[in-house]
Amino acid sequence: MRRQFRQSLSMCVLALVACGGAESDSGGEAEAPFRAALLTAGPVSDAGWYAGAYEGLMLLRDSLGAEVSRQQTRTPAEFDEAFLSYGSSGYDLIFAHGFEYQDAAIRAGERFPATTIVVSGGGRFAANVVPLIFELEEASYLAGMLAAGMSESGTIGMVGGVEIPPVEGTFRAFEAGARAVDPDVDILESFTGTWDDVAAAKEAAGAQLARGADVIIHNVDAASFGVFQAVREAVATGRTAWALGMNRDQNDVAPDVILGSAVIRIPEAFLETALAWQAGELGGRPIYAGASEGVIDFVLNPALASRVPAELVAAIDTARGRIRAGELTVPRVEFVEPEVR
Amino acid sequence: MRWPERVMGGPLAVATGAVLLTAMLGAVLLWAGGYDPLAAARAAALGAFGTRDALLSITLVRSVPLILTGLAIAVAFRAGVWNVGAEGQLYAGAVAAVWVGLEGGSLPALLLVPAVLGAAGVAGALWALAPALMKLRLGVGEVITTLLMNFVAIYLAAYMVHGPLQEPRGVFPQTGPIAEGARLPVLVPGTRLHVGVVLALVAAAGLSWLFRRTRIGFQMRAVGASSDAARIAGRIDTRKVVLIAFLGSGALAGLAGGVQVAGVTYALYEGLSPGWGYTAIAVALLAALNPIGVLATAVLFGALEAGAAAMQRDAGVPAVWAVAAQSLVILAVLALDRVRHRAGSEASGV
Repeated sequence: MRRQFRQSLSMCVLALVACGGAESDSGGEAEAPFRAALLTAGPVSDAGWYAGAYEGLMLLRDSLGAEVSRQQTRTPAEFDEAFLSYGSSGYDLIFAHGFEYQDAAIRAGERFPATTIVVSGGGRFAANVVPLIFELEEASYLAGMLAAGMSESGTIGMVGGVEIPPVEGTFRAFEAGARAVDPDVDILESFTGTWDDVAAAKEAAGAQLARGADVIIHNVDAASFGVFQAVREAVATGRTAWALGMNRDQNDVAPDVILGSAVIRIPEAFLETALAWQAGELGGRPIYAGASEGVIDFVLNPALASRVPAELVAAIDTARGRIRAGELTVPRVEFVEPEVR
Repeated sequence: MRWPERVMGGPLAVATGAVLLTAMLGAVLLWAGGYDPLAAARAAALGAFGTRDALLSITLVRSVPLILTGLAIAVAFRAGVWNVGAEGQLYAGAVAAVWVGLEGGSLPALLLVPAVLGAAGVAGALWALAPALMKLRLGVGEVITTLLMNFVAIYLAAYMVHGPLQEPRGVFPQTGPIAEGARLPVLVPGTRLHVGVVLALVAAAGLSWLFRRTRIGFQMRAVGASSDAARIAGRIDTRKVVLIAFLGSGALAGLAGGVQVAGVTYALYEGLSPGWGYTAIAVALLAALNPIGVLATAVLFGALEAGAAAMQRDAGVPAVWAVAAQSLVILAVLALDRVRHRAGSEASGV
């Protein structure tokens, strides 16, 4: 099923890019095949979560010829208003990029049955309201394999922000990947309770390093710099220690200590979702975007690739292939509610 | 006392001038930024007033929290209480409202809605009580204390949505939806305009009457004009007047939070307010602290916000430009207010 998706995806893109070129040649306001809107709760200049969504919207414009629009909402009071504005002006597809939109999306979905609303990371769905779930667990599993394979002490660590199911999911998968390589590995876990407290993240990572961990993964979003800094300081004392990036390719954030990153390719996920919508396959169930769709991947840091044993890289590649093929299922935490109504 | 002609004639001219000046400055800014000012202006005007939904569901709905917080500022500033804590009082009100709205599901709407709004008002007043007591007992300036209390309230709300009031499944940092019976009824069917707007109108009319016709209203103005003179020559209990101004101001700001939860979001989130408690200061000053004037200036700011959002959607103008336009209005207001004062040879500043 997913394979088919992917094949049809690339074919459609090729076909539509060709059409798009012809359209733009004719100039003027050729009517768009559909209209898509993006709602973000933060600036698209964040070089991360929201920037990826903006790139996704631009991808819909450039590859599918969609007429696009976007709005940055500053407060939950604007959610209903934004859905009302787009819904009443006939937008076909609204990407609401964050769980916080889910309640307003359900309300808007009832009022505008002809509009389909995609809620990134949402937990509720209806006939025309679709959560888009990123299966970051699939990359976390590979990160766990790398961590256990690279650990000399036999102890690795996980530093999380807020203890919510998507974060727990990545940690359970990380553990499973680590144990697949070294069944006896010790795994430490701590949560800082926030997404942006760099000092708390550094402290948590420092405590794990002090307890012997020598590879640390994080899921603390913007506070990740604290984790990298703690690892760097440990390295400065003469120890061998590594960090792993999460959510986006962070390999260049601290290229001296980050072995690799578990990444979400949001634009690809948006494109796949739009194609599913065009094929009439979107709605009434959540979408899971993972490694087999090319949305989730684990990226080794090229600057440190020479430090990773070849057989470990080969084992990770094998696991990646098995995950993509659906032969290997990694642990994940389900948080989508049954359908509304 | 020449309040009536001063407040009725002046602010309207200032507001009009501010809008025109801002429109010109904004057009130049947008043009310099590579955007089409005419398309942006058209999008903004249509987005704020162009359709029934734009006017009723967007502009007026956005005006309600600005009216209530603007009135909160007017009450305090009239009495010389520099409450810059409307933001925190609003959050306190929102937390209380959502708590009652979640717990009171078994009550009929006729009781539950007043309970939700009452809790919001009381919570806002209590949030203002601490700075009031610190000012009256210890002489600590309220600009600092009310400002700091804002941060406490914002973190309190964040704690609530991660902890005690988090939605039942404990997945997302937000509360569950409040009971149907706790939600404000829609005033105009088919729109989002809720009865909170009536509440805001009644509050403005009531305050206008209070300032002009009642003893406490006169005392507040006297204390605001000169606390010492009011105490010595007027034999006014200035401490009591200051306390009432604090509590009234806090209650109105808390009510704004409650109305937003019960009328718009139906749940509590982090970042509920985009800074209404601060925008309210501009709203109130632009209205020369006149409650009826606050209605006009709050709708003006609501329309500006609605127009800015429409500019993003329909003219591709990024959000930062919208914020810049709003800041321009405030600057224009301050400048024009000075000019008016000078022209009117008024010695007393706001």
